[in-house]
Amino acid sequence: MEKTQLAQEVKKKMIEFLNLSPLTPEEIVDDAPLFGEGLGLDSIDSLELIVMLKREYGIDIHDPKEGRKILVSVNTMVDYIETHRTV
Amino acid sequence: MFYIHDIAAISPVHELFASSPENTNIISGNKLLAVEPVYAGIPPTVLRRMGKAVRMSVGAALHIIQKHPQLDGVIIGTANGGMEDSIKFMNQIVQYEEGLLTPGNFVQSTPNGLASQIAFMVKNKNYNNTHVHRGLSFENALLDVVMLLSEQPSASYLLGGADEISSYNYNIDWLAGWYKKEEVSAERLFNSSTNGTIAGEGAAMFLVNNTRTSATAKFTSLFTSHSTDEAEIQKKLEHFLEKHLPKGEQLDLVLSGENGDRRLLPFYEAMEATVGENAGLLRFKHLCGEYPTASSFALWLSCNILQTQTIPAVLEKRKARSTTFRNLLVYNSFQGHQHSFMLISAVE
Repeated sequence: MEKTQLAQEVKKKMIEFLNLSPLTPEEIVDDAPLFGEGLGLDSIDSLELIVMLKREYGIDIHDPKEGRKILVSVNTMVDYIETHRTV
Repeated sequence: MFYIHDIAAISPVHELFASSPENTNIISGNKLLAVEPVYAGIPPTVLRRMGKAVRMSVGAALHIIQKHPQLDGVIIGTANGGMEDSIKFMNQIVQYEEGLLTPGNFVQSTPNGLASQIAFMVKNKNYNNTHVHRGLSFENALLDVVMLLSEQPSASYLLGGADEISSYNYNIDWLAGWYKKEEVSAERLFNSSTNGTIAGEGAAMFLVNNTRTSATAKFTSLFTSHSTDEAEIQKKLEHFLEKHLPKGEQLDLVLSGENGDRRLLPFYEAMEATVGENAGLLRFKHLCGEYPTASSFALWLSCNILQTQTIPAVLEKRKARSTTFRNLLVYNSFQGHQHSFMLISAVE
């Protein structure tokens, strides 16, 4: 799957897992911050995203420091999924 | 017992006491879904996680709290809380074999999520309690308020009742025969001669305290009972009215929880025989449907009637003889075994 396709898929899953509707994938900027500024997600959302990565891509995140680097933007998530996905 | 000041409700009908009450639209179908407003006071980031019961409760509560921020407690009655989220969470447990679960649905699903989300939104750290007693949940919240106000006479509380229709509890209750098998229009609900009723949902909130000045209505007394015997309930109603209706005063209006289920009709007919023919007879379940805390909608209706001294025609089964209304009785039965009487009076 091409990176742009994967980014689109990740954004659709984020909307589903985080109840972000009526937001559309096109409205989520790939390099905008997920937390604080940008999408404005919070700590409960970070747990939801970790569960999403496990369920949808077979990725386990155990180290919080590692999580902080992955869950920065859609782009950083897509980069990590491309190299670490098991499903 | 206490005074009701501000009131708010989110229900399947929201224009009952608008400028043209005669034109109130009755929603049709076997599920009467609440008409939700634009929740301007709830941040979108918080709103997106809320289930319908939580949204309705917080939305109705904020309408009151924004005008009266100093509350000594939040007391809510709900039979099921956020049932839809509860089922999503339970399904996750099964689907992922008790493994990786997300917190969102769980946080929103517990019954005490309603009162706690209200308190959380306005940073109220006072008394916070939720009563879950099926069809008497709201009545038990009322009882809690009565006891609290006797201990702390100068306090003010937010009292409320709320429940949502979830596909899960609708299907279970439908299979158990509590909802009608056939399609029935709400307008024709009381002409139905079959078992079951129509489902409803909503949230009603009240600011209550012991201050008479500027009150909307006075809540005079409450009685609850568990029984399947209409003769026993009739005797208890006779005793209730003898004890609590002020001497020399009459009952002007009765708000009946009749719901189109032929099995429950004997309870309501016994009540009608007890109150006599002087009181006007009103019904409300064709507007809000049946749900465990529908009595909170009835109390909201009662406050509106007593405050405005008007009765929307859509409620009338038998016209009142009096043109001014002082004493109003609400009788509600949930599934024919949980019963409540509430006596409410106008404040002059």
